[in-house]
Amino acid sequence: MGDSTLMRVTDLTKHYGDVRAVDGVSFAVPNAAVFTLLGPNGAGKTTTLEILEGIREADAGEIEIFGARLRHVDRATKQRMGVLLQEGNFEPYLKAREVITLFASFFRNARPVDEMLERVALTEKANTYVKHLSGGQKQRLAIGAALVNSPELVFLDEPTTGLDPQARRNVWSVVADLKSTGVAIVLTTHYMEEAEALSDLVCIMDNGKLIAEGSPRELAARLNQETIIEFAADGVQDDDLVPLHACCAAVRSGEDLVSVETENLVATMGSLLEWSKERDLPLANMTVRQPNLEDVFLSLTGRRLRE
Amino acid sequence: MNDVLLLARTHILTALRERVTLFWFLVFPVFLLVILSLIFGQIGQQGEITFDVSLVNFDASTTSVFSGMIEGVFENLAQSDTADEEPLFALRHPEADEDLASFLAAELTAVRRGRRAAVIVIPEGFGHEIERRVVSSGAPGGSSSTDDLPLTLYYSEGNAASNMAVSIIKQVLAGVNREILARSGRFDRTIAIEASSTWVGSESGGTVYVDFLLPGIILMGFFTNSLFGIPGAILFSRDQRVLRRYWVTPLSVPRYLGGLSIGHLALCALQFGILLVVGRFGLGSTVSFASLSAALHLLLAAATFMAFGFLIASLAQTANAGMAVANILNMPMMFLSGLFFPITGLPVFIRAIVYVNPVTYLADGLRAAVGVESGVFPTALVIAVPLGWIALSTGVASWRLRWDVAR
Amino acid sequence: MKAFRALLRTESAVFLRDKTTVFFTLLFPLIFILIFGFLMGDVDEPAATLGLYEAVSSDLVLHDVLTSSAADAIETFEDEASLRGAVIDREIDFGLIWDGETLGFLYHPNRVQENYAFEQIALGITDAFNLRAQGLDPVLPTTTIHVGSEASTRWFNQMVPGIIAFSILSSGLFAVSGHLTAMKERRMLDRMIVTPMPRVALLCATATVRLVVVYASTLITLFVSIAIFDLAFRIDWFAYTLLVGCATLGMMGLGTVIALVVRRPSSAGNVANVLAILMMFLSGIYFPIEFMPRFLRTLSLALPLRHLAEAMRFVTGVSDMSPLRFWAIVLSLLALGVVLFPVLARYVVRPARR
Repeated sequence: MGDSTLMRVTDLTKHYGDVRAVDGVSFAVPNAAVFTLLGPNGAGKTTTLEILEGIREADAGEIEIFGARLRHVDRATKQRMGVLLQEGNFEPYLKAREVITLFASFFRNARPVDEMLERVALTEKANTYVKHLSGGQKQRLAIGAALVNSPELVFLDEPTTGLDPQARRNVWSVVADLKSTGVAIVLTTHYMEEAEALSDLVCIMDNGKLIAEGSPRELAARLNQETIIEFAADGVQDDDLVPLHACCAAVRSGEDLVSVETENLVATMGSLLEWSKERDLPLANMTVRQPNLEDVFLSLTGRRLRE
Repeated sequence: MNDVLLLARTHILTALRERVTLFWFLVFPVFLLVILSLIFGQIGQQGEITFDVSLVNFDASTTSVFSGMIEGVFENLAQSDTADEEPLFALRHPEADEDLASFLAAELTAVRRGRRAAVIVIPEGFGHEIERRVVSSGAPGGSSSTDDLPLTLYYSEGNAASNMAVSIIKQVLAGVNREILARSGRFDRTIAIEASSTWVGSESGGTVYVDFLLPGIILMGFFTNSLFGIPGAILFSRDQRVLRRYWVTPLSVPRYLGGLSIGHLALCALQFGILLVVGRFGLGSTVSFASLSAALHLLLAAATFMAFGFLIASLAQTANAGMAVANILNMPMMFLSGLFFPITGLPVFIRAIVYVNPVTYLADGLRAAVGVESGVFPTALVIAVPLGWIALSTGVASWRLRWDVAR
Repeated sequence: MKAFRALLRTESAVFLRDKTTVFFTLLFPLIFILIFGFLMGDVDEPAATLGLYEAVSSDLVLHDVLTSSAADAIETFEDEASLRGAVIDREIDFGLIWDGETLGFLYHPNRVQENYAFEQIALGITDAFNLRAQGLDPVLPTTTIHVGSEASTRWFNQMVPGIIAFSILSSGLFAVSGHLTAMKERRMLDRMIVTPMPRVALLCATATVRLVVVYASTLITLFVSIAIFDLAFRIDWFAYTLLVGCATLGMMGLGTVIALVVRRPSSAGNVANVLAILMMFLSGIYFPIEFMPRFLRTLSLALPLRHLAEAMRFVTGVSDMSPLRFWAIVLSLLALGVVLFPVLARYVVRPARR
């Protein structure tokens, strides 16, 4: 293992009866990078993460963290890790400051409490009971608790779900800060924009298997298209779409959108305009955009990221 | 160590900051201590109670002095001796021209309805009856004749005040009895036999009820604190995924338990302190817990109950189920233990519960240790049964208790 | 009407499926009955055993007096030490040492609640002995007559209606400050309110389910008490049904007051619990009211549970009450429920504050 790989996972497997929740997953997480696990609900992201966080046990496979080969993540490893769980709570009648102080005591090395509170912008709420904090404030507090030991490896499981845009941006800047100090971050999210904005490396999971891996750009490049044109599907029948196959790389019709993928924007636009005149179908709400991770996922699995 | 202490502190703070817990844990035992002392401390002390009694004298127009004398005695007792002391009776009798029979009927209804403690009825001819008996008292065959004219006391048997009033009235009448016999020269007071009352088993005199009660309330406080507090803390924290946030850190389960236990024992100590202060300075208890024996018994009790709390937590799947189990066990274990009520004369299968119940032994042991009672059970049993429960509870709990919510 | 029927079905189903609530409403009172029934079994017939040690030669007059006294059994002891030991070990209830001059009675210091009765027996013995020793008989014949039903002679007989009264109180109270407020807290009420559902329908459904459940629970309690403890009741079924119905509604009214006053819906249940327990101790159900200090006795008069318990004793034939007072209680309870009903509909059944 090279200097730059903080964690390597090999053939990780977990089954429940006949169901393979995690099916032979392998990847490596370098330091100073954001590694994102992407996939719909039930893909096995959370199970994988819980194994790596040490609260679930794998049935097979190997985990290597900080150079040590482990079957299960042990307490010594946890000293250098930080974890933000997807679902969790603090004692409602503890003050924010008391929560950080408590969590700090679990580690051999921890940052000063006031510094952590400031880092997650909760200094004003230091003496407020958890019970009286808003959803966003509670999440920030959880992030503060996850980072109190200056971890080298951080797991963030859906860190911005339910947060308002401002709060989300705060979290993104925390992630960027972490990255700049050399920390490796394992992120899960079902927000595509977040994955694209933050990630250095993306792993797409579906049905327990890893189906694609690479940087966002690399993945999008696989699609062999440069442009995607979308318009409203109102009034568009299936046989209407037949002639479009001639001019475009792929045509997909969803419930409300028809999307057309092409390498040659100009030619395809022309064909579309003719088609719309012939069939007397308006190209309503038409957008032209670059392919994104959602499209990658769609092309790989035939389903959308967010069901 | 810091983490363990901080966890203990967390447990203490969250208990004290939640108003509901604070009530059950502090206010309720104090309330119970005060109420029970006030109520049961009164029995036998008639100082504060005035009994509502009525007297109907059907023998008023007699030539004999005795009926009037009896009436006079009760009227005396209905006057207060000093300005601030309440008289023993509040006496009612019929108005000058009121019909005695209808007055009596109304008074009997009042007794039945709990508004009057007793009605004293002096029958017609009672005075002469007394005269006859004074003369023939002691004669062979006794002084009772076939046409007995007794003075009748009407009362309500299930009513505690009524019962006590009747006892007092009987005492008064016994006094009148002697007085009459003495005045008629038949009873010689100078050779009257005296009675004395002494307490057995404790040199310092009879136990004030609060001394008997205080150790019991303290144990009750420990018990409910553990029965509800431990499962509450663990199960709610687990179900709400508060615990899971701990398990992703290096914190181990034993250290968490250490913190929880220390915090819990600190809460018990706080309870103990408050109850002791209220008992000693508020209610005048003189019981001393300052001996090693008492301290060990308190510690044993706290430990037994805490282990029992872990047992309950391990038997329940959800927090609500845990609270339900605690509620079901609370009353039987507290009452079928001799903590508040004597446990003599119970049917066999109830006695079985009493003998299995650790509270029984802990209460007995603590009372003996503070010198309130000499102890019904042998010391070996008093220590062994709670220790057995600790072992059982710890065993089952460590096997069954799940520290994370099922996924 | 349609809404009412549907809600009735839902509320019934919700109740029956929640095993915890079913247990607590129907069966919890039974636990109290069983515990106190067995504990109080012989409170009314205290078997007073007196131990006797005579330091001097046996006194026949004394024996005669003792046998005809109120003590149920007399045990003789050979020496003072064994007599004292028997008192300490509770083998006997109290002791007597006769040394030829003084009657020395011995009591166990911890039997606080029972010693009073034993002292009365001792006094009776002293009086009788004094007279007999001088060859006299008492000149004041006295007899005591119990006024009232046979049922009212046993304290436990009086306790059972009190326990039933308490179960009615808590059921009614928690129907509002518990069940409805929980629905409010979980925002379930919000979802119902935004529909055209008439709020009154929900309340009527809740009340109906409660009435049926409470009535069933009281009947179960009564029958178990009679079956296991052989208690005597003489139930006026019309008055009983009326009382249970009005009391349930009245207690729901009381629950409404709590729900109005307490800010957060989740706290309402806790406040209701606290009030219920406090009332339980001060209403004469478990401890006789007569011996409480005056201020507590006065306070007790203000508690609905006190009057409800006494009314319950009346309708079960355990004790007596003036019909006027009974109707006053019933109508007050009904009024409490009915008057607060629209308040309940308007101010409690509404969206939770965010």
